[in-house]
Parts: sequence; structure tokens; C-alpha cells
Amino acid sequence: MTEKKRRWAMVIDLRKCVGCNACTVSCKIENNVPEGVYRTWVKEIEKGDYPQVTRFRLPRLCNHCDNAPCLAACPVQATYRTEDGAILIDYDHCIGCKYCMAACPYDARFINPVRKTAEKCTFCYHRVEEGLLPACVTTCVGGARVFGNINDPESLVAKLVANNPVQVLKPEMNTQPYVFYIGADQNIMGARYDNLEKGEQ
Amino acid sequence: MVSNVTYLANVVHPVQLGILISIYFFYTGLSAGSFVLSSLGTVFGIQKYKPIAKAGVIMAVALLAIAPLHLIGDLEQPQRFYTLFFRLNPHSAISYGTFLLTLYPLNSLIYGWFLFRRDFATGAQELTGFRRVLYKFLSFGKMDLSKAALAKDAKIAKFLGTLGVPLALMVHGYTGFILADIQARALWHTGLMPLIFLMSAMVSGTGLLILVLMFSQRFLSPERTITPERKSLLLDIAQLMMWFIVVDATLMVIDFIMLYFDNVAGHAAAKLFLYGSHRTMFLGVEVGLGLLIPFIITLLPKTRKSLGWIGFASVLTLIGVIAMRINFVIGGQQIPLSADTLNPYTADPKHLIMIGIFALLEITILYLAFRFLPVYGLPKEKVQTEL
Repeated sequence: MTEKKRRWAMVIDLRKCVGCNACTVSCKIENNVPEGVYRTWVKEIEKGDYPQVTRFRLPRLCNHCDNAPCLAACPVQATYRTEDGAILIDYDHCIGCKYCMAACPYDARFINPVRKTAEKCTFCYHRVEEGLLPACVTTCVGGARVFGNINDPESLVAKLVANNPVQVLKPEMNTQPYVFYIGADQNIMGARYDNLEKGEQ
Repeated sequence: MVSNVTYLANVVHPVQLGILISIYFFYTGLSAGSFVLSSLGTVFGIQKYKPIAKAGVIMAVALLAIAPLHLIGDLEQPQRFYTLFFRLNPHSAISYGTFLLTLYPLNSLIYGWFLFRRDFATGAQELTGFRRVLYKFLSFGKMDLSKAALAKDAKIAKFLGTLGVPLALMVHGYTGFILADIQARALWHTGLMPLIFLMSAMVSGTGLLILVLMFSQRFLSPERTITPERKSLLLDIAQLMMWFIVVDATLMVIDFIMLYFDNVAGHAAAKLFLYGSHRTMFLGVEVGLGLLIPFIITLLPKTRKSLGWIGFASVLTLIGVIAMRINFVIGGQQIPLSADTLNPYTADPKHLIMIGIFALLEITILYLAFRFLPVYGLPKEKVQTEL
């Protein structure tokens, strides 16, 4: 069998996520992310009525999609894809038009208020290039986050995806995400539209 | 659907493309609308619209000169805007827009020059003082007033105008595609979006043209009056506006019926606009003030013959189309992608100041153009005292 090209991917086993937000914090420190904006965060919901009630969590980050809408939207090719599938931003060329932020179905992007360009999770590409794991993965207390080359059948991500029922966010958008979830509840995976205006004022 | 779900923690994602982008769409629409009206006489050969060709093209150029400033003002890195011209992405609507926004005003400018050349040349020979110098300069030395030369002018103007109509449609169609291309946003992602934008462009373009014609004919034309011929043409344009309103409203109805029967996000968007918190801005301002009342005014025999009522209807269409741009641009991003409440939007005061400055600049340019260019022919008296 010919060796397939390397493709970085992440699997998040939600059965192991305790919602401690260590990933959120380590990402902020590792990537110097300013106050108020997040490259990764943990969404949390409560489902059911007492006493039948459970909390569910969903760590969120850029999905490094194979068919990335942000890549198509960027008018100055500041958003690009590396050979191993990560979607990155060239901060020296981003003009800050924010069109990518409108295009991303996952709310993954934000404007860095200090640098004044678009920004998002890079899979800690600077670490990965050096043979390290992304900061959120190394710090994940429960070992929920797993990172690796999904095209290497011996890698843990490939095994997890092969041997578990996995989900991706908004598959109907045809974005082909490379962040896979195990055990995600459908009520937390997208938006909730049943009572949109309760938060107003 | 499970209803007892509570969101405990999430990150807020505020609306990103805000009021500057909405107003940019408004300006582009006005420009495209004015250009198409200008072309009715010169390109489509409808004689009665010939007198508004020059006014239309001045508005098209003046509005599109200011429109892109809103885009640049909205950039986080405005000093890098020029890279849009060479770092192209064939998948991005903005890359196409960059060139459309450059070619279209240039084409309009040259087209306009051929409409004006006769007056520039005549003025440079017959007038005195400031206007003589100005017109002599603007004629760029092309003083030939022979029949053959004038026929050639008309021919070139017709060619450039013919080129300009699809350009104008593309300029405003592309703005629709900027939104329609975004699959993630339920309110935007429809093939109707470019058509809705085009028709609202025609409505607002006609509205502003009527107002500018009324003001400039009354105060800036050589006759300083709205002559009976001019009045009948204005009323005629108002009837055009009525039909643009009809088509625009039809598209809007189709869009919202489709949205209502769309997926969960689309349905939520339809509900938000039809009976949610955005109903005042949508049903009240955009549809009621902007389409329904102007339609009634331009329909009823009594009001459609009155310049006052027509002017009022035109103001309302402008308000309605501004509301439409805001509703679609900002409202479209308020429908959450990962949250359980509407994404918040607060207008940046800097952006509001920019909009004010750009509007003043626009009014100044339009005033100077209608004041000093021979939009309604040359001044009757050969000796001009004003400087």
C-alpha cells in the first residue's frame, strides 16, 4: 500500500472531558491570545429536568476543514492550507475584512484586538512542526483530546475514528471537518433556535 | 426536539460586518440604479429619458467614488487594501468586486464624458469666466462640434453605456453574491439574494434620482425651475419606481416564504423578521415605510401626480432600502451559529463618524457637480458673474 499524505486531525472523546477548561487556558498562554477572544473554548449545556439531568461539554476549535469556507472567502489569500491539512492565516497579509468570520459556520475565527487581523486555532502548528503536540492536547486532564496523522493507520486518531461512532459539527455544510467527536450530544453541536431572544436586554 | 436544554457556558461571537458594510451596499445600489436609469435614454433609446442621462451618470460616478471608502474604513488593516488587486482568490466574491468596483466607475466616467463633451466644447467657446476655463479643461481640447463628431460621441456613449449596464448589474449583483455565497448564514444563502439586491438598488436609485432631479432642477439648473416637461418626466420616473417596488416586493415575499419553510436556522430567521424583535425594522420600516407607502403614493391618481408626494415617497424608499441593507447584513449575522441567543451587535462610534463624513463628502461632490457641470445644458446668459 502506498503511504498516504500526512493529514493532521483531532479526536475529542467527550466521555473523558470533565469541562475543566485547562485547554482553554493553555491555548491562551501558548498562543498569547488576548482577553475576550478564544481559539478554543468549552461549550457546556445542561439537559433534562431534575433529577434526570446531565451536563454535556463540547470543546470547540477550528475544524481545519478539507473544504474550508474561510479559505474560499479570503480575498487576499491570507488564509491558506499547509501540506498536512492545517488551515493557517498569514498575519502579514490579512487585511481584516472579516469575510472569513462571516463564512465560518463554526464561529472559529475572531479579530485579534492587538494584532488587528483574523485569528483562529492553528493546531499549534509551531509546536507540531517541532514534533510536539498542540498545547490543548498536552494539557488535557482527562486525555480527551487526541491529535495525530489520521492517514497513518497506526496513529491513535486513526484508530479512534475507525473504532468508534464519531461525529463532526454541521456535516450538512459540506466543510469536511477534521475535528472528530466521540459521544457528542446533538443539542450542543450547533446553535439552539427555540428561544433566540431571551438573552436580549 | 429536546426542549429542556440550558446553555451554561459558551463564547459570545458578536456581529462582525456591521453598519459600514450595510451603508456600502446602500451606496453601490444607488449608483447601479442611477446608471441603469441613465442608460434608458442613451442605450435603450427611449427618447423621453434622454434628459436624465447626464444626471444619472453623475450620480452613478459620485456614489461609486465614495462607496468603497466604507469598505476600506471597515478593514482592520486599511493600509493593506491595495493588496486586493494582486493577491487574488478566484473563489472569493470580494476579489471580483475589487475589479468591478474599479472598472465600473471608470467606464461610467468615460461614458459620462462623452455625454458632456458637446456642452464642454460649446461652453469653452461661448461662456466667459470660471466656467469657460473649467469647461475648456474638461473638454481636454476636443472642441470639434461638427455633426459627424457629435454623432461619433453619441455612438461611443452608447457603446460605453451598453458596456456599463452589465457592469452596473454585476457590481450590484456581486454584492448580493458576497452574502449569498456564505452557506453558513441562513438568511443570506439564497439564489434570490443578488436579484433582491438588484431590485432594491433600482428602487433606491430611482428614489434618489427623483430627489436629486427635483432639487437640482429647482435650484441649480439654468432655468431654476421645474418646467412642466420636467415635472411630467419626474412623474413618469415615479411610475417606473412603482414597478421596481412591485418586483422588489415580489422577490422579498418569495424569499421569506422559502425562508419560512427552510431548515431550522432559516425558519428561525424568518420568525425573527416576521414576528420577532426585528419585525419593526423589517415589516415596519423596510416593508411598510420603504415599499408599501411609496407604492400607494405612486399608485393613487391624486398623489402620483403631485411632486410633493412623489418626493416624500422617494425619501421613504431610501429609508426603506437603508433598513433593508441593515436588516440583511447585520440581521443575517445575528442568527447564531453556535449559541442559543442572537449574536449581539453594537455600532462602533468610529464607524458612525466615518459614515457621517462620507455622507457629507458625497453631498458636497453631488452639489458641486450639479452646480458647475452642464447637467441641464449651458447657462442661458453668456456672461457669468459668479466665480
